[in-house]
Amino acid sequence: MELRRSPLDDRHRQLGATMTGFGGWDMPLHYGSVVAEHRAVRESAGAFDLSHLGTLLVTGSGAQDCVQRSFTNDVAALPVGRAHYTLCLTDDGGIVDDLLVYRLDWGLFVVPNAANAAAVRAVLEESAAATGATVTDVKDDLACIAVQGPASADIVTAAGVDVGDLGYLDCAGLPVPAPGGSAVGGAGTGAPPDAGVLARSGYTGERGYELFLPVETAPSLWDRILQAGAEPVALGARDTLRLEMGYPLHGSDISPATSPVEAGLGWAVKGSGFRGEAAYAAAKEAGPARRLRGLRVTGRGIPRAHCPVSSRGDAPAPVGETTSGTFSPTLRVGVALGYLDAAVQLGDAVTIDVRGKPVDAEVVRPPFVDASPKD
Amino acid sequence: MNPSDRRYTEDHEWAKPEGARVTVGITHYAQDALGDVVYVDLPATGTRVEQGQPFGEVESTKSVSDLYAPLTGTIVERNESLESQPELVNSDPYGEGWMVVIEAEDPAAAEALLSADAYEQLTAASS
Repeated sequence: MELRRSPLDDRHRQLGATMTGFGGWDMPLHYGSVVAEHRAVRESAGAFDLSHLGTLLVTGSGAQDCVQRSFTNDVAALPVGRAHYTLCLTDDGGIVDDLLVYRLDWGLFVVPNAANAAAVRAVLEESAAATGATVTDVKDDLACIAVQGPASADIVTAAGVDVGDLGYLDCAGLPVPAPGGSAVGGAGTGAPPDAGVLARSGYTGERGYELFLPVETAPSLWDRILQAGAEPVALGARDTLRLEMGYPLHGSDISPATSPVEAGLGWAVKGSGFRGEAAYAAAKEAGPARRLRGLRVTGRGIPRAHCPVSSRGDAPAPVGETTSGTFSPTLRVGVALGYLDAAVQLGDAVTIDVRGKPVDAEVVRPPFVDASPKD
Repeated sequence: MNPSDRRYTEDHEWAKPEGARVTVGITHYAQDALGDVVYVDLPATGTRVEQGQPFGEVESTKSVSDLYAPLTGTIVERNESLESQPELVNSDPYGEGWMVVIEAEDPAAAEALLSADAYEQLTAASS
């Protein structure tokens, strides 16, 4: 299958990006140094092209019911101008996708992972048929640029977008700039692509903004954001940043074969009448046999995905397996997420088998680093 | 770019003989392909290594690669600085980023490795 190209594709190539296939898209993996890009986000600000993310509009009088039937969080409690994290489940209670839902004055804006966008759309369309809502896929019309890091507000403002006093997980309309014009600010009107969406959300653990805007306006905004001082940051650093926070990655840490109960995502299940509700309730009642845990290396070595984990002591026994792992540029040690037997406690010492070599680690509760997107 | 005072392997290691003592590292080309080096796993001194066989690992944010011994011999020194500063492999692959010193059983075997020019041609052809 041919990979789709971002509206910023030529910018990435001019910047010398190494490209990779991701969720059906040809996206930048790094622009030279994953570690330098990671540090830019933790210390100043980085700009990400997230145009691969799915973008779906749910509108009409049945929009709220449609989303309530499709996802786990309680969208009835989500006011206009706010966003929340939510899950789309299978009938068996597995995780189809984890995603964000934003409520604007025109309706609900749904942003699934690229690889799961079609599956989420199908779930929404099934719900829409029963509720009378309209589901519109605006992927061909919308680009997404994220600016993340302590300097993100200043940089987005300098690039001509008024971020106002948006708090964490607040969102607003983003007016479409006039052709050639640089100023965008104030409240946008209408649904994409007549207007964009500006949100204070992200996947890095830092303060940051995500700007969804018409594809034809994306390259000039990207240029202004880089001119304002953001470093371009790609998928490699996006992965090390999210892993330092312990944010699960769908397809690695969570999947249709894992439940929100064992993944520790029950906090995002507050709705009712959603797909997979009965299976979720049964899994919650039964309690998890294993839990998604953080693992911080205390010895030497860097765990990756699918490393066996065993207990330590007189009678070491297998207790689970890592689902993702990396070198933490902030801590300068290996960190991982993995499913461990529910009997394993926080603070326990375990051994990770990294390609045949035993690496000592401690079971911890993420985040691994001291960062918060609410700061 | 590749110093002419040493020899090279097709696996992108360099070997700099001084008598029987041969200092070993990876090339600029190798570190560039690896990206940020974040971990280097080296054998203990006294370990015997065999030409062409893996003797350690170098790991970047992107991937893990084996290190191959350019010559047969015994590890007599290892670069302890790489434990806390693996990035030296990126910043100075031919100097501070050296990895081990091998006491070679047959120091003359180094002559059979690639010259800087030959290695230059090898990497030019594959890039």
